[in-house]
Amino acid sequence: MHSPDTLSASGLSCTRGDNTLFAGLDLSVSDGECLHVTGPNGSGKTSLLRIIAGINVSETGSLSWNTENTASNIKFYRSSAYIAHKDGLKNELTAIENLRYYQQLEGKVNEQRLDDTLARLKILQCADLATQQLSFGQRRRLAFARLLVSEFSLWILDEPFTGIDKAGREVIETLCIEHLDNHGLIVMTHHQSLTNSKLNQYRTELRLGAA
Amino acid sequence: MNNLANNTLSMYFLREWQLMFRNTSSLIQPLTFFIIIALLFPFSLPAESALLQRIGGGVIWVSAVLATMLSLESMFHSDYHDGTLEQMLIHPRSLPLAMLGKSLAQWSATGLILSLFSPILCLTFNIPTEQIWVLFGGLLLGTPSLTLIGAIGAALTVTLRRGGVLIAIVILPLYIPILIFGSGMLNQVAQGLEVTSQFYALAAILALAITLAPFAIAAALKVTIN
Repeated sequence: MHSPDTLSASGLSCTRGDNTLFAGLDLSVSDGECLHVTGPNGSGKTSLLRIIAGINVSETGSLSWNTENTASNIKFYRSSAYIAHKDGLKNELTAIENLRYYQQLEGKVNEQRLDDTLARLKILQCADLATQQLSFGQRRRLAFARLLVSEFSLWILDEPFTGIDKAGREVIETLCIEHLDNHGLIVMTHHQSLTNSKLNQYRTELRLGAA
Repeated sequence: MNNLANNTLSMYFLREWQLMFRNTSSLIQPLTFFIIIALLFPFSLPAESALLQRIGGGVIWVSAVLATMLSLESMFHSDYHDGTLEQMLIHPRSLPLAMLGKSLAQWSATGLILSLFSPILCLTFNIPTEQIWVLFGGLLLGTPSLTLIGAIGAALTVTLRRGGVLIAIVILPLYIPILIFGSGMLNQVAQGLEVTSQFYALAAILALAITLAPFAIAAALKVTIN
């Protein structure tokens, strides 16, 4: 159990060339809440997520994690996980080796937990396959398995349901709901509406770009 | 063992080795390139033993520089394309230490292997034994600096599609001092002079590269990935 965390931002902006994607953007996410970033293609959803994750820097404004600024804040980076379009997996390694690396990065060694995580995402049968041989959907599931190797409080998910079948989507939604019930935070983008999803009741929407 | 796996430096070093062994072409390519360049010279020059002996050391040094540079282009490439590089950037573990581990692994797969192989190439140039040792020692001290300095260029050009040419333009001027000291040693020893000062100079460059280059690589990656 972790203590309730909050993420808040004020005055974020992002420009691409001469194009201002968003400016003066404020947001706040508290524990048990899922911030659903929506908007048309090119409205800056991924850019916003990259700013939150700390890969890109916002030209203006600031981001804070439990009232402390996130920039070079070890506590923030230790408790956040970012799953991007690029899944961060090495083709040369097997599924479980990829996951083990991410577990080692967190300074933990727990083989049982790796197996359990793969089983939860229903890809245990692929554990010893080279990642190159996995299907797109299986790779996505493996990328999500990374969220469970350590206690991350903030999940930053970029289009989590792309390329995943119905069963996979259900698995990931269940994980998200468990995480939220456990005082976790989620920031995600998803181009479709989540109103039919179980996640709907946890959701607040942030709409980017001209409607 | 547990402690070793937990240390950022050794963790990245070992991971890099694991990846290189899965993809052996990255191990073989620099060495093959090194041997081919060095061996083409005797074919294209007049077959005078004295001439080959005089230029042999310099040729081997130039081959080592070119082979190192060739291997650098791909250093961050796959990490960038599969997204692991982004994950390294936002991980709380120290990025400079990670980059030092990665560069050392990269060096041990290129520079170290080249250095170990260089005495055999010296035989084809008919280089006398005492010069072989000087060349071997010089390469062993010089190639880690080549990799570490070159990695800065690789980090700066990682997002470009054809970064190789740019790496060469950015990095080659920085290689010249190492090249001068490295091959200068051989002329000195051929004339029967002391080479200690050149060794010290190479060691000083290496000390600077080990301490400063990882920070420069980390900063370059942060700027380019942004």
